[in-house]
Amino acid sequence: MYHKTTGYRIFSIFNTVMLLGLSLLCIVPLLHVLAVSFSSKSAADANIVGLWPVHFSLEAYKKTIDNPVFLHSIWVSVKRTVLGSVLTLLLAFLAAYPLSKETSIFKSRNIYSWIFVFTMVFSGGLVPFYIVIQKLHLINSFWVLVLPGAVNVYLTILLMNFFRGIPKELEEAAFIDGAGHFRTLFSIFLPVSLPAIATLTLFSVVFHWNSWFDGLLYLNNSKSFPLATFLQTVIVQKDMSSMSIDPKEVALLSQKTVNAAQIFIGALPVLVVYPFLQKYFVKGLVVGAVKE
Amino acid sequence: MNHFKRNWPLHVMILPSLLFLIIFNYLPMAGIVMAFQNFKPWLGLAHSEWVGLENFRTLFERQDSVEVIWNTLIISALKIVLNLVAPFTFALFLNEVRKAFFKRFVQTLVYLPHFLSWVILGGILLDVLSTDGGFLNQILSSWFGIEPIFFLGDNNWFRFTVIVSDVWKEFGFGTIVFLAALSNVNPSLYEAAEVDGASRWKQTIHITLPSMLPIAVVVGTLALGNILNAGFDQIFNLYNPLVYQKGDIIDTFVYRTAILNGEMGLGAAIGLFKSIISMVLIIISYRLAYKLANYRIF
Amino acid sequence: MKAYTKKALTLACSLVLISTIFTGCSSSKEETTSDSGKVTSDTSKNENAYKDKYDPPVTLTTVWGVDPELKFKNEETIENNVATKWAKDTLGVDIKSLWSVTDTNNAFATKLRLAMSSGQEMPDVVTIGDANLAQDLINSGMFQDAGALFDKYASEEWKKAMAQDPNVWNPYTVDGKRMGIPVLDYAYNHDYLLWIRQDWLDKLGLATPKTMDELETIMDAFKNKNPDGLKPDEVIPLSIGFKTTMNTWMGDPSWVFGAYGTIPQQWNKSADGKLEYGSINPAMKQGLQKLTEWFNKGYIPKEAALWDENKTSEPAVAGKAGILPGPYWMSGWPLVDTVKNVKTAVWKPIALPTGPDGKAGRHGTLFTNGVTLIKKDIEHPEALFTYQNYMFKNLANSQPGGVFDNGLFKGYDYDMDANGKALRYDDIPGGYVNSLRYLLVRDGARDPGAQMKALLNLADGKEATTRLEKEVKLNYGLQTPAAAKVLMSQEGIAYPNMYTGPTTSTMKSKMDYLNKIENQTFNEIIYGKQSIEAFDKFVETWKSSGGEQVTTEVNDWYSKLSK
Repeated sequence: MYHKTTGYRIFSIFNTVMLLGLSLLCIVPLLHVLAVSFSSKSAADANIVGLWPVHFSLEAYKKTIDNPVFLHSIWVSVKRTVLGSVLTLLLAFLAAYPLSKETSIFKSRNIYSWIFVFTMVFSGGLVPFYIVIQKLHLINSFWVLVLPGAVNVYLTILLMNFFRGIPKELEEAAFIDGAGHFRTLFSIFLPVSLPAIATLTLFSVVFHWNSWFDGLLYLNNSKSFPLATFLQTVIVQKDMSSMSIDPKEVALLSQKTVNAAQIFIGALPVLVVYPFLQKYFVKGLVVGAVKE
Repeated sequence: MNHFKRNWPLHVMILPSLLFLIIFNYLPMAGIVMAFQNFKPWLGLAHSEWVGLENFRTLFERQDSVEVIWNTLIISALKIVLNLVAPFTFALFLNEVRKAFFKRFVQTLVYLPHFLSWVILGGILLDVLSTDGGFLNQILSSWFGIEPIFFLGDNNWFRFTVIVSDVWKEFGFGTIVFLAALSNVNPSLYEAAEVDGASRWKQTIHITLPSMLPIAVVVGTLALGNILNAGFDQIFNLYNPLVYQKGDIIDTFVYRTAILNGEMGLGAAIGLFKSIISMVLIIISYRLAYKLANYRIF
Repeated sequence: MKAYTKKALTLACSLVLISTIFTGCSSSKEETTSDSGKVTSDTSKNENAYKDKYDPPVTLTTVWGVDPELKFKNEETIENNVATKWAKDTLGVDIKSLWSVTDTNNAFATKLRLAMSSGQEMPDVVTIGDANLAQDLINSGMFQDAGALFDKYASEEWKKAMAQDPNVWNPYTVDGKRMGIPVLDYAYNHDYLLWIRQDWLDKLGLATPKTMDELETIMDAFKNKNPDGLKPDEVIPLSIGFKTTMNTWMGDPSWVFGAYGTIPQQWNKSADGKLEYGSINPAMKQGLQKLTEWFNKGYIPKEAALWDENKTSEPAVAGKAGILPGPYWMSGWPLVDTVKNVKTAVWKPIALPTGPDGKAGRHGTLFTNGVTLIKKDIEHPEALFTYQNYMFKNLANSQPGGVFDNGLFKGYDYDMDANGKALRYDDIPGGYVNSLRYLLVRDGARDPGAQMKALLNLADGKEATTRLEKEVKLNYGLQTPAAAKVLMSQEGIAYPNMYTGPTTSTMKSKMDYLNKIENQTFNEIIYGKQSIEAFDKFVETWKSSGGEQVTTEVNDWYSKLSK
């Protein structure tokens, strides 16, 4: 067969080498950051760390983890990521189905889809948004991290396009069996679109896990910060020109190593999620299974 | 009436999302009026002075406004195109890998740079691209005998550097959506093609490529919503006085003039300008896709 | 059909919500005005309300922009900590926090503006560092003539500290009224000098450079005959950077221009008594020529245009730089780390070299770093003065044996060992936290001249007796007193930025562009992309593109001030 031909073998070797090269290109800067995070402050400040720690030190990690707010912030992050992603996915799953219908079946879909897309482009800015949040009594509430971003139009539209790829025959067969829209959605569409849902989950998890600005602005107390917000406040790009300087404090700064450590602490959970979700990307698994 | 009877569940399915959008997106849009106000926080939306198009004038009357808008457009257009092409191609190549372990391994590694912030990457790039013993320039000179290139300080190279580094950072993450599209392809198509004796190349052209195309069009069109966002974090960390001419973009300008000074009206005006341009482009590509391919992007 | 009714309903709902947003704002405004009527009568009743301790306690509300580096211990927060407890117990002043935000990415300014826009309650007392934000708050009309209160309630100590520089009130003076109380800072904190590798000088047998010419000889020797055996390519004789500005706090090149008689990117007093923008002074041309020359000879970093302040310190810490401009306190950070990378490294502070006419110059430091605003019609404005007077008496001018003799709070910013000897800050059990930042007015109270005085006393070999002297001796870098002495030997050369007023209207619309072409032109001249003649063209463009107008506005402000 095709993968036995010489031409394809040569291609395969070339392909493997190229992919390995690209992977290396992506991992090297990270190794550097990792090395910095385990280096001493004096080495990092001198910028002499390459891909291996200089004067090995755990100070940066200690500094981040020792903070009593740290553990709690992880809990907040986990809560917001789980609740936020579940809500986002549920809403997207429900909305994508009707939007994926042809206009001949669902006349209003065009109006709806423009209502959705419009919000991707236009926004009223911070001030009125803040007022709405305030009127809803969401300031300083955990739910401010979950509710305002619950509808993710981008993900909804992606899912809608995946739904369109599902063979029409499946749906028609369900209708003939007397299933309504809800049953079709949950018993036919749901199992078939698992790869798509895995993708959406990943996007949503990454989004929630990394969001920090909402926490900073709408929560009034650092004790209720999610991890991303907390870490953002550990990174300091101090503008010394406008600060009142206390040389003692300056001496305690070690931005570089802490920044580096922060990246790993912050990204680790999402990095772990990815390989786990990858098993849903196995080609054709679901569609094939349903067809039989 | 009959039509509705059959379709009411469809409306119900959309309703929750719609409510959220109305509350958290459409209600705050009242704030667009700020674009036409000399907004003062203590006067609020209702009492701030109306200034008509004054805020827009501030943007367009600068001697360098054409330059800045042009920079933004070029950088972001190239980013949009390459951030589509690179993951797309990469997904195709990755699709040819037969060993599942190797595939996942590569997939995971290339996805990592997405999690690095530009503050950190800016520092790394400064070292790697340095003309004074930077890694890349050392390779260029010792392997190819090329004079050191001032990637970050030369107007001819700056945009190139910005775009390539952005593509490097994001292509792995962007690949995910195409891999998902590929996993939606019915394997029986490949089986049938193989029985017909189609070469792998032919299969790629006729099965793999077309199955990824709709998603590519969708992703590309939605990316147009960012046509005037050339990547604030990246530019802000990389630009310097030597490359203002080719590297200063709308968002860095907004940061310096509106955000730091608390000029919220100006910020709103520029935001509105960006939104309108994006919307027009989205509408155009929506129409084109519908006319040419009879495909509704959304 | 039903679907449309539903849609209409939601639309109606949203309209209602929109209208509540607007009415909500205006109604809250009315409330505040009606409130104020009541409160005024209260205040007049409490004419002589000032007390050293309030019983029952009085309340002051505030909001906090918490420095990201600020640490807490013992489960405390900015709302509730050793300092708030102390204030309530000792002074009967109950500090109530409306909200706090960790101040990164401009979050404090944004949040305060949002709070204002949405009609939230404003704090009774607030301390602000950001000049534009302070101006916004003053313009809002919600805050009162703090100067009058200051005259009435402030203690002699505080007034004396304030009088050290009469210019401190300028930024907050509107129509003759002093709308905010300046937060005093130690003088000279950002004034800089040159740090030089003394061990290199010694090995080369060279004397401390006094003039620009001598400095050049030394830079050449550092580069081409490096005592540590570094190749010329590896040495950065003078580490400076221009990424954002040519007038900054570390790796600053502005003294090169100072040697010819101007300081860029600030407003200097010119010979005719008017204010002039330093970057358009003809002396800039000579400075730029000098920098171009140094660039071509490899004395300054090849990528200086890409380097920000922190980057300039990297080669210094790595032991590859010979000279680094920066503040007197830099021996504590970052230079202290150099010996960890190069054992023999010794940094010494030296005075700025003089130009051909014997001139030298650097930018000066304002004596203030922020402002405290007091809301109109609050019940107990005098409580702020009770608090601050106490601080100025016991903290700013702490005497041996006083309450704050060793520091503010034991176990927080200082601690003693078993023998009653003060511990170094990194030896404090449970870690050092800067509890001075918990105080109502940031850093408590600082007497501008006190820090320098303490350092000079130490430099002269005096025993450390006062709190500041002890603290400096214990906690600051070894070379800090010597550096202070060097700094003060050139006290007269500082050019303070004379314009401290609000951003003028032309500045708002034009200044960003003017800064941009300035940075661009200067860097391109140094990098040889434009000839030095481009400077004259820049000056012309600067003037015609709004600079002239800005100069007029600045001088209008200045002339009103001097009256």
